[in-house]
Amino acid sequence: MPLVAAGGRTVHVQELGEGPAVVMIHGLLIGSLASWYFTAAPQLARGHRVRMYDLRGHGRSERAAGGFDTATLAGDLAAVAGDLREPFDLVGHSWGGLVALRFAREHPARVRRLAIVEAPLPPSSALEMASFLAGDGLPARLLDALPAPLREAVAGGRRQAERLVKSIERLVLESSLLDDVRREPDPGDAELARVTAPTLLAYGDRSACAPAGARLARVLPHARHLVLPGGHYLHLDARARLAEAIEAHLG
Amino acid sequence: MTPDRAEILRVVERLIVEVAGDELLVTGPITLETSFNGDLELESIEFVALAEKLQQHYGASVDFVGWISNKELDQIIALTVGELVEFIASCRS
Repeated sequence: MPLVAAGGRTVHVQELGEGPAVVMIHGLLIGSLASWYFTAAPQLARGHRVRMYDLRGHGRSERAAGGFDTATLAGDLAAVAGDLREPFDLVGHSWGGLVALRFAREHPARVRRLAIVEAPLPPSSALEMASFLAGDGLPARLLDALPAPLREAVAGGRRQAERLVKSIERLVLESSLLDDVRREPDPGDAELARVTAPTLLAYGDRSACAPAGARLARVLPHARHLVLPGGHYLHLDARARLAEAIEAHLG
Repeated sequence: MTPDRAEILRVVERLIVEVAGDELLVTGPITLETSFNGDLELESIEFVALAEKLQQHYGASVDFVGWISNKELDQIIALTVGELVEFIASCRS
């Protein structure tokens, strides 16, 4: 089921495995469903029906001029998960984690368990993760900003680096993505406390997002806070341990 | 190369071209030594598409994603066409 119509848009969706449903959401800019497909998804797929999709404007989903705020993206998620009858689990990395938290507040009866990986708070602090965007010389600084395994892979050649830079330039120059991130309001502790689903919070010990994990751990009623060795791209830096922790949490 | 492996190599090459375009072949045909990352420079999202095509072609008996998931990231990055051909051959024997 690669390309499906959801909410009036074409969305690239992939599924692995069978069982209770888990929907996995990737982060902005360098993310795509491949972020999960080759990391935690195969392990979860041993006991779950794992659904992954490319966010609007990312991967093979339809390009988008705007709508990268969590309200719009949670609406996209509702469309992608529209056929799931039973409550399902949500796993989100970075901005995808904020989308999962928002969806869980708006549709508490539809979400069973949550795994939030490296979601930034306040949301606009996500721009710190994308500091490579400031000024000129995007390709060189982008490579510096990538997690080590990806950097080595991309830095070796031309095709991958060119394509990665092109896709990021398209999002940065031809969409409202950065403005959407900048304008995203902080949900506030009282609003976050409405997330009732049992939630795993996984953060990297070297990540600028670490304070967000501590805050969510304090505010969410049913949270478990896990700090793993790694940076913001924890699904790469701590691939096996993160997959195990998510699998154990979802059960 | 056994006839079996030669046939698998032809299938894999066709699926790679379907996923990433035939400009990948301008530097020569895909061989067992060709690496997905260093030589072909497939994007990760193209690798997902290749996984899907392998699944469609060979069915559930070739669990490409399960096989990949047991590898370390640096092994995945260094993966060659020959390793994939060998894996597919082992699933079918």
